This record gives sequence, structure tokens and C-alpha cells, in this order.
Amino acid sequence: MENATKNIRNIGISAHIDSGKTTLTERILFYSKRIHAIHDVKGKDGVGATMDSMELEKERGITIASAATYCKWQDHTINIIDTPGHVDFTIEVERSLRVLDGAILVLCSVGGVQSQSITVDQQMKRYNVPCIAFINKCDRSGANPFRVIKQLKDKLGHNAVAMQIPIGLEADLIGVIDLVTMKAIYFDGDNGENVRVEDIPENLLSDAMEKQEELIDVASMFSDELAEAVLEEKELTEDLIIAAVRKGTLTREITPVFIGSAYKNKGVQPLLDAVTSLLPAPSDVKNEALDMESDEAVVTLSNDPKKPVVALAFKLEEGQYGQLTYIRVYQGTLAKGSTVINVRNGKKIKIGRVVRMHADQMEDIEAISAGYIGALFGIDCASGDTFATPGLSLTMTSMFVPNPVISLAIIPNDNKSQINISKALNRFTREDPTFKTYVDNETNETIIEGMGELHLEVYVERMRREYNADVTTGKPRVAYRETITGRAEFNYIHKKQTGGAGQFGRVAGYMEPVAEEDFVFENKVVGGRIPTQFIASCEKGFKKCLAKGPKMGFLITGIKVVINDGASHSVDSSEMAFQAAARGAFLEGYAKAGPVIHEPIMKVVAETPTEFQGSVMGLLNQRRGMIVGAQDEGTMCTIEAQVPLSEMFGFSTVLRSSTQGTAQFTMEFLLYKQVPQSIAEELANKKATEEKKK
Amino acid sequence: MTKEELILCNPLRFMGYKTEDIIAEGGFGAVLARAGIGKTAFLVQLALNALLRSKNVLHISLNDPVNKVSLWYQELFRHLSKSCEANQIDQLWKAILPHRFIMTFKVEGFSVPKLEERLTDLTEQNIFSPQVVVVDGLPFDESAQGLLSDLKVLAKNHSTHVWFTVRTHRHEEIDPDGMPASFSRVADLFEVAIQLQPEGKDIHVKALKGETATSDHSALLLDPSTMLIKDKA
Repeated sequence: MENATKNIRNIGISAHIDSGKTTLTERILFYSKRIHAIHDVKGKDGVGATMDSMELEKERGITIASAATYCKWQDHTINIIDTPGHVDFTIEVERSLRVLDGAILVLCSVGGVQSQSITVDQQMKRYNVPCIAFINKCDRSGANPFRVIKQLKDKLGHNAVAMQIPIGLEADLIGVIDLVTMKAIYFDGDNGENVRVEDIPENLLSDAMEKQEELIDVASMFSDELAEAVLEEKELTEDLIIAAVRKGTLTREITPVFIGSAYKNKGVQPLLDAVTSLLPAPSDVKNEALDMESDEAVVTLSNDPKKPVVALAFKLEEGQYGQLTYIRVYQGTLAKGSTVINVRNGKKIKIGRVVRMHADQMEDIEAISAGYIGALFGIDCASGDTFATPGLSLTMTSMFVPNPVISLAIIPNDNKSQINISKALNRFTREDPTFKTYVDNETNETIIEGMGELHLEVYVERMRREYNADVTTGKPRVAYRETITGRAEFNYIHKKQTGGAGQFGRVAGYMEPVAEEDFVFENKVVGGRIPTQFIASCEKGFKKCLAKGPKMGFLITGIKVVINDGASHSVDSSEMAFQAAARGAFLEGYAKAGPVIHEPIMKVVAETPTEFQGSVMGLLNQRRGMIVGAQDEGTMCTIEAQVPLSEMFGFSTVLRSSTQGTAQFTMEFLLYKQVPQSIAEELANKKATEEKKK
Repeated sequence: MTKEELILCNPLRFMGYKTEDIIAEGGFGAVLARAGIGKTAFLVQLALNALLRSKNVLHISLNDPVNKVSLWYQELFRHLSKSCEANQIDQLWKAILPHRFIMTFKVEGFSVPKLEERLTDLTEQNIFSPQVVVVDGLPFDESAQGLLSDLKVLAKNHSTHVWFTVRTHRHEEIDPDGMPASFSRVADLFEVAIQLQPEGKDIHVKALKGETATSDHSALLLDPSTMLIKDKA
């Protein structure tokens, strides 16, 4: 493995659903000679694209897990993480972005900047990932790359600048004009593998000159040398322009835009050139870790392969040969046979096999040095763990993990399936921090929780396919919550004298709603009315009540409990007694504090052709949705609404059938909001019926 | 803090209008200013004032996306409630939101028949029926006259009144009645016109047309830091 980190690029390919990420990756691997044949995502040959290694992905034509792969282009090594495009799998996208140095933002030349592109762009911003844009599908009718560039500017606020202009559009797309070299590039051969460079056709020359001027205008803001050369009307060399654009790209101040059609094999090779010339090498990126020993102080890591190791496990996968851990090394070299510690739990780990992945095939290597992405075998860890040389206690910044909003009961149909389910769940929860599971004590059912209907559906499907588990699923359940709306006082005495040692404790105080925190406990007891050793028991007693609200049995959040008085008995008071007193006090106060039920509200963004705008709004409105606004964009229209999650089940089918399959939508969790009275009553009735059944 | 208190706290009442609504049904109002003075902020405050009175407001923007428009509302509501020392603003905010609907168009794609079609979509399905319409970013050029006349008919049919922002230019000629030339062409259609005029560090709110135009009433200012309308006193 080469140590020249300046020749490494760790990139991701992010985009909206169906913009052609997987197809683009496939072509990149083909041109860089990693694969020798092209199979399309929904291809007729039944092989599927190389990157979609999971059977399910092949069937649905979507990319679920981000398979890591690498390829060589000129003298550069490019590590590629293929990221999923659906919001339900956003944690995958976030994790990938965490370990990437740069990204290609793929946009559809017809659809333009769509809702998912906006989400992905925000994530890139959060992790400060520089990107270049690729406007794909320029061969499709209605393609207009310049409209997409304008959208990049208007909608995403990028300083987008065209690096190329197309030669022909839609069915006539035959090549691109490079605005830096001012040459026309054509792609010959069956698979466009032969790049032919020629002079710019006469009829496009003036367009190209005009666009080049725009490019130089933007680029010269980042290079004094270039600006000077422009002013003095000197010759502008390619290197000078590229260096200026690169400088702007690395700080996310320019987004260079490339054009082509991956499916028709146009424009992929120049894009690869751009990845090597414009996107950052690991050494161009400042990576930071937190020092656990000095109060999480920020430490900047160096890319030196000789320094102590710091590496991040960003993805786990259960392969045919055991658990595979994808890691990115930030500092030092992780070699076969060396020992590191898992900073989270302090466990020592001996590195066994080290491999480099290419979708589901792998290649054994000796070591992974700083800047590289690779995989380890048989390591026991969770995703997001940091590995470091013993003695170091650095951890990579924790990743943002949202709370699950939907749950589903799964019931195994036979004994064998039960064992398989637990194996599957064990693995899925380690791989995906947004996927959680627990056993409901009352119903004894296994409950899985996640970020959306599709998220859970895919995992259930994987249990069936990969683990042969025969399962039945219950109806998806929404994670409702309870909270209080007013302040209420409590004063409760717990007294029990039934032979043996008695129990005594009095707890008094008040509770009130609190925003932004789940639970706050404050002790204002003075004069030892509740002895200090029992204060913790009171807190514990209150906390225990939160798990199951007295009103409907949902989790209680947003509550502040203050205790300011109490009483104890020298013999009969105990930890148990005060816990019980706190429980009693809670119930007393809670009933008076105006308890209400909250439900998760999702931000739904639907994109539809304008003729269906009315019906889509109607659909959202029927689902108790509050429509925030409608954005007219020529032929398409975007509707933004806030809709309760409980009303969104099966929405995709309804949306598709009422818009002839032309509309699509994305949704993500927005906030918790009080349910209307009628729905609260409905929930109460439902609960009453359920209890009767028991 | 109740809605009423927030309404009372809103300096718009100092505009000196006797009735609750400044303009009658089917009437037009205009907010004139040069670029960057605070037309949108003023318009959003008019809208917030209506929202607080539980009136349905349709905000039509011809330049900004939905997100940006909502941000204007959020910010100005935050400033407004802060200046009035309101509490429980979250609940108030949640209560007024369902009364607002944002529609954005591209300037070149905006037409009255199109708007009518959208409005019918909304009203027929009982999703939303506006009582106040605010239009931000409509260019007041030669072609505006026809469009405005059609809009007037639409406003009457839907029993709403409409506020517009009108962008003026530094070099523009001023008519004897104080109105910029581009606006005076269509001024007949408007019942009220308010101009935002920067003078030194302050931005003065000046009535050009309407009930207060004749009276001496320029006691309102636009605070440049919060973009809130405030009383001169």
C-alpha cells in the first residue's frame, strides 16, 4: 500500500433516489478497470450493479448499505462509499460522510435539486465535506443542466459554476466541452471507454467562451495569481485555473459542476479527473478527535502513518466469514498482528486479517495507513467505536443519532426462527444505531424501533432472507409520548405497617412542564426534612414513573420535578420507602398537572407535477397534515407539510396511485406535538379495548 | 400573554385606523421602498398582525422559497414576542401557524389564472381559504396594470384584501403627490400606500395614500436591527 496520502481520495456519492448513483459508481469501476463488464441496477441480465451486493437491494433497485470499494485512476487511489438515497437510511449517509474527505453530489438533469438532495446537502454542510456536482441523465428528454446549476445556487446556496457544457442534449448528447482546456471531449467505443479530444465545434465556440469567462470570474476570487493574470491579459494556464477552483472547492466556497450521462457512458472519465484534481486528499482535511483524559479537549490529528494509531469503525457487516468492520484510519498505521484498544470500553484488540473491500469481494492486505479505508475481520465492537494505540484515549467526535419514531412487534412463527431473529437483531442493532429493539414486558413481544416504515420493512425482509426467520409482524406503532401542561403540587405520605419493619416517607413539592429536556429533578429540601441519603431514592422513584405514563402508558417527557419538603422516620424510613413515596407523589401531582399525549410530527416534502398539486394537497390534508407551503417550479411543484406519523402509513402507495406514479415524497421527524382531543379519545378507547381483551 | 395582548403591543395599531382592517374587502395596499429597506419585514408584520387576529393569511412570494419565507415569520414573531415580553410563545406560534399558507411562484410563471386555479384547489377541498393575501416581489412594470386589475377581481370574488410590496428606485422620478412614477401608473387601484423612507439612521413609515395620508402621522419607525415597526415615542 502506498503511503503517499496526497494521491488518495476518500469520496462518497450522494444524491436523491433514482438520480443514478449506483450506475455512476458502476461506470467509475468499469473505466478504472476494477470490473470488466457493466450490469445495470434494474438490468435485464439479472446480475445487478456490482455495488448493490445485498440481494434485496438488487430486487428493489435501491442501495441500502453503503458498500465500500476502491479503484485507481491515473496514479490516484480512490476509495468510494456508495451511500443510500432514502431518508429512512439517513444514518448510513451520515456515517459515510463522517469518514469521507469529499463527495460527488449527483443530480438529475430533469428533476434537478430535489428534496433529498437538500437533506444530503445539509448533512455535507454539517460535516464540512467539500463536493463537486455531477448533473447526470443529460440524455433524457427535458434535460436542462443550466437550470439545475441555477437551482444549486438558489435552493442550496452553492456557488455553483459550470466546468463543462454539453455537446447536444437529450437524445443528441454526444460529449462535453471542457471549459478549462477548451477542448471537446467525445466518448467512443461500445461502453464509451475511448476518450477522443478534439477542437470545439464552431457552433458552440461562442457559448463555450462565454461560460469560460463565467468560470474564470468565479475562480479568480480564490487566486490572486489568476486575478492578476486576467487583469494583465496574460495567458491563463490550465494549472492556474484548476488550482483556483480547487482552493474554492476545499473550503466549500465553489461547487464545480460536471455534466454527463452515466447510463449512456458520457462524461464519467472527466469526472474522475476532477475527483483527483479538485477534491481533497486526506492531508488537506483537518480531522479532530476528543481527548477523553483532558475533559474532551479537541486534538487535531496528523496524517502521519508513523504516529500512534487512531481509527474509526464506521460500519459493521455480517459477511459469510464473520463480522466485518469497516474502518477509516486517521493517524498512524493499523497493521496485521498489532494491538489496539477500543477507546469506548478499554478492551484490547489484536488485529487479525486486514482486507480491502470491493462490494462483496475482498483482498487481503498487510496494513491500513492513515487516510485509507479498509476492513477488519472478527473484531468485537459497535459502529462508531474508536480504535487507538494503547495509552492514547482519543475518540472521534460522536455522531448525531436521532431517536426512533416508529415501532413494530415481530412474532416468530417457530422455534428455529426465534433463535435466528435474535441473531439478526443482535447484528442489526450493532450495525445501525437508529435501529433499536426490546422485549415488551407486558405482551412479551419483541419490538423493533426505527426511523420510518421502510426502514423497519427492510430489516424484517432481511431477517426473512438472510436469516431464514419466519416472522409475522404486527401493525406499526407510533411512539406517542405523554407530558404535562401545567404546574401541580404534590404532598404524599407513604406509610405501611404490616408487621416487621414499617415503611415511612413523605415527599412534597411540585412538578411543571419543561421544554427541551426530558426530565429535570431539583432538590430544594432544607433542614434535613428528607435525609440526604434518601434524596437519590426520591429521584429514582420519580424516574421510574417516566417509563410508563399513568394516562396511556406512553413514555413521559418534558417534566421538571422539584421537591421542597418531606418527612422521615428514624427507624421506618428506607430507600424503598422513599422510592414508593416518590411514586405516590408523582401520581398525585401528574393527575393534577393536565397530562396530554404528544405524537411525532413528520416534515413531509412531496414533489409532484403541477397538474396533481391539488390532489396531493388534498391527500396531505386528509391525513391531518398542515400544509406549510407550495413551491411552484415550472412543471414541477414542491409541497411542504407537517403530518402526524400515525397518518403516514401506506402513503407512498396512495400518492403513487393518485398521481399516476409521478409524485414522490420524503419525510423526516420534525417535532412532537399534542394530539387533538378526538384522537386522544380514540387512543384511550383503543387502549381500553386492548385491556379488556387481556 | 394572550393573543390580544400581543396585538395591542403591536405598534401597527398606531397607524391610526379606526377599523380593525386597514383596507376593505377587495382593496389593495402597497408597501413602497427601495431594495433592502424592509418591505418584506413590514409585510410579514402586517400578516402576523392578521394571523394573531385568527385571520387566514396567504403569503405569495415571487422571489423566495417556502423555507425562507417561513424563516421571516419565525424571526419577526420571535422579535415581536420578545419586545412585548410575551411568554408561552411556542403555543401562540403553534396556534397561528395553521392560519398561514405560503405559495411561491417564479416571477415569470406567475399569472392570475394560475393563482385562481391554486386557490380553487385549496378552497374547494376546504384546505385553506384566505382572508388576507400578501404578495411579495411582484414587479411593477408596464405589464403590471392588467395583472393587478385581474387580481382585484379575484380579491373581490374571494372577499380578501391584498397587500403588495413595491420596489422603488433611487433615480426614479417622484410625482407631485409624492409617489414614484412606476407606482403612480397603478395607484388608482390602491386604497392605501405606505412608504418606508430611510432618513439618517432611522427608517420612517410614511403614509402616501389612505386615511392617514392627510393627517400628520409619521410617528412610526422601522427598527433597523430587528426590522420591527416601533413607535417613535
